[in-house]
Amino acid sequence: MAQITLGTLIRKKLFAPLAHRLVLALETPILIEDLAGEPLIATDGAIEGVRYPVIVQGDTIGWVQGNEKAELLASLLAYHSEREVERKNLGSETLHKYKEITLLYDMADKIPACMERSEIIAILTEQIRQAIRFSGLSVILLDKESGKLEVAASLGNEYALGTVIEPVGIMASVWASGKGEIINDVHADQRFVQRPYRVSSLMCAPLKSKESTVGIIEISSAEPTVYAAEDLKLFSTLASQAAVQMENSVLYLELKNAFYTMVYTLAETIEKRDPYTGNHTKRVMEYSLAVGRTIGMSEDELIRLELAAVLHDIGKIGVRDSVLLKQGKLTDDEFHQIMQHPELGGQILSRIPQLQDIIPGVVQHHERFDGKGYPEGMAGEQINLAARIIAIADTFDAMTTDRPYRRGFSFEEAFEEVRRNSGTQFDPKIVDAFFETDVMEAFFRASANLKLRAAPR
Amino acid sequence: MPKVLIVDDEPHIRYLLELTIEELEADGVLLLTADNGETALEIIQAEKPEIVFLDVMMPKMSGFDVCNAVKSSPDLSDTYIVLLTAKGQEFDKQKGQDVGADIYMTKPFNPDDVLNKAREVLGL
Ligand SMILES: [Fe+2]
Repeated sequence: MAQITLGTLIRKKLFAPLAHRLVLALETPILIEDLAGEPLIATDGAIEGVRYPVIVQGDTIGWVQGNEKAELLASLLAYHSEREVERKNLGSETLHKYKEITLLYDMADKIPACMERSEIIAILTEQIRQAIRFSGLSVILLDKESGKLEVAASLGNEYALGTVIEPVGIMASVWASGKGEIINDVHADQRFVQRPYRVSSLMCAPLKSKESTVGIIEISSAEPTVYAAEDLKLFSTLASQAAVQMENSVLYLELKNAFYTMVYTLAETIEKRDPYTGNHTKRVMEYSLAVGRTIGMSEDELIRLELAAVLHDIGKIGVRDSVLLKQGKLTDDEFHQIMQHPELGGQILSRIPQLQDIIPGVVQHHERFDGKGYPEGMAGEQINLAARIIAIADTFDAMTTDRPYRRGFSFEEAFEEVRRNSGTQFDPKIVDAFFETDVMEAFFRASANLKLRAAPR
Repeated sequence: MPKVLIVDDEPHIRYLLELTIEELEADGVLLLTADNGETALEIIQAEKPEIVFLDVMMPKMSGFDVCNAVKSSPDLSDTYIVLLTAKGQEFDKQKGQDVGADIYMTKPFNPDDVLNKAREVLGL
């Protein structure tokens, strides 16, 4: 129920001048006071007569003192206040609905971008928190492999995170029926099973998409409260929006997995042509990523760097075995053919829309900081950052790998070599970063799993 | 007495904003409204409200114009201006900054955000 004070009513921008003029027009001493007796409007001079109360819905909200005209004024103010209270009541209802709309709008706006279950749950709980009172909240999700229900998020006094729950009581009914429920007095409900925390009222809804029910969400109140049918409606709508998105995210993850597997398989296939490179791609990837982290690349940049590192030599697919695997000295023409591989790689990747961003990293990995590289002869920071990193990782690994016709450098010798080429072949800043990086750790990480990682992060 | 001005040509949005801010009347805040840019500017000059919730898309004088006029007159430039823009409507953030708006909110606005902003600016 909306409340109103005589003071706020009289001070209202449009009403204030009217009230003052009306009092003057009455041509008799009048005093209008609020409930506490603070004067709001007073005529000059002494005021006598009766103090008439201004009564709104049974409550006195102020006083008008004076002769019988004051009584009339008190009635008029009471009437106006009554209308104002009605307006406010209707208004708060309208505002409540409007707020719900903004929540749903906001949810529909934010959620399609969420591909992680945890993000989806975070948004869901935040939206519910803004709309409905509760002291505890649990999101319980079905683990498809084990078939068990596990607490995936919890707020306040509810089940602890990670608890495996056998659906019993009310939750079991909701899980079985797929229909949300309000239980305002849990102790009066026969299905209620004692919880490890205090609960008086609760609301429970399935996380249901078109296809299936992926879990349950429950909010509870330690103190008795009254959840309304409208609360449940909003609660269920938000829950199902989240459920649909969770299903979408699974599809997305599967596709992403398939994509990464393809990329890595492709890179491995190319590598296999030259048995002596043995795991080169994987090491270039690990070294590059390690340097990327040292220089503080963002997660998105690291993903692109990783893909570029994995695919940097993909253009070698277009170089004949007789040239690629030749052990003797290359002729000029053969050398020229090998030098085509960065551009060939770029051409192959240009057909894959999702990989456009990594093309510069692949095409420019044989450019040199001093401008004496190929294919373009770019120099300095003109060269793509990923390419500048991959250049060091690639060269370092080539130097430390044994070849049939020569023994590889030791790590120390190779580091020395990298340092010696700083500012000529390599970007000195990246060389510094390379020295700051735990290259051995990256090396062991690459060796630990000889197959290229096919799982997305 | 602290003052809040609401400016929107759409009556229902104006009404919703009024309902939202009315809660502050209990703290002695005076609520002012205008349904067009010209009136808004007159009220700002006469009443000097601390904060203005200002719709961008209005016929004749737009919210940008009002904001620009307020922020470029020395005695009014302290006025805190919240630009209101409809979601989906192409909103030029740069333009909002150019005319000196303090912040912008999208409609449908969250009543809690509006109320909190008003409280913050008025120090309530
Ligand atoms: Fe290469």
